[in-house]
Amino acid sequence: MATEKSGKTRDARGGDQKGAAVRKKAPPALLIAAWFIPGLGHWVLGKRTRALVFGVVIVSAFVTGVLLNGELGTPRPANPFSWMAAFACAGNGVLYLGRLLWLNGLGGLIEGIPFALQGGGNPAAAGFAYGNTFLYTAGLMNLLTVLDVSDFASGEKE
Amino acid sequence: MDHLALLLWHALLVSVFFAFLWRSSAVGRRKLFLKTFLIMAIGGTLLGWLMYPFP
Repeated sequence: MATEKSGKTRDARGGDQKGAAVRKKAPPALLIAAWFIPGLGHWVLGKRTRALVFGVVIVSAFVTGVLLNGELGTPRPANPFSWMAAFACAGNGVLYLGRLLWLNGLGGLIEGIPFALQGGGNPAAAGFAYGNTFLYTAGLMNLLTVLDVSDFASGEKE
Repeated sequence: MDHLALLLWHALLVSVFFAFLWRSSAVGRRKLFLKTFLIMAIGGTLLGWLMYPFP
């Protein structure tokens, strides 16, 4: 523990003691719920307006991506960038899993994990690149909402 | 397919999202929304215009 010039006391990990006393861990179930259904985490915490706005924005972006013939990112062993695309798209939670289920069927989904999943989309379509952008953006926005829920639940943000 | 409409739609969604993520007051949200939306809409259009001569 050390005292800074400003007078703040910091613990061995560099954390502010006053902040550490208030901070608590966000429940993992809440974070999973926030990821799985866009907006649910904020809804549970009573942030209803945010929940509705985030839900509508993320679902709209995802649906736009699908309508534009975008392809959901799925991991491919020979393509490292596909892992990043898969991470971004998996951020969509139930939308991602639902779309994969729609495209692959239950049997295909189970058999296809992890490297043989079909992400749909049509590379020849005019909107393909735009669609991918909307799908990735939706997933990354949802992941940011998970971090936001974590901040609210831990008392970091009010 | 209207490229400009898609650009504006994307800018609108992302701007609304970040306005609600990063600001709590209505005024703050409105300001951030306008700023990010205009930067993305005008910046994207300008960039597209600048790239137009290139194959």
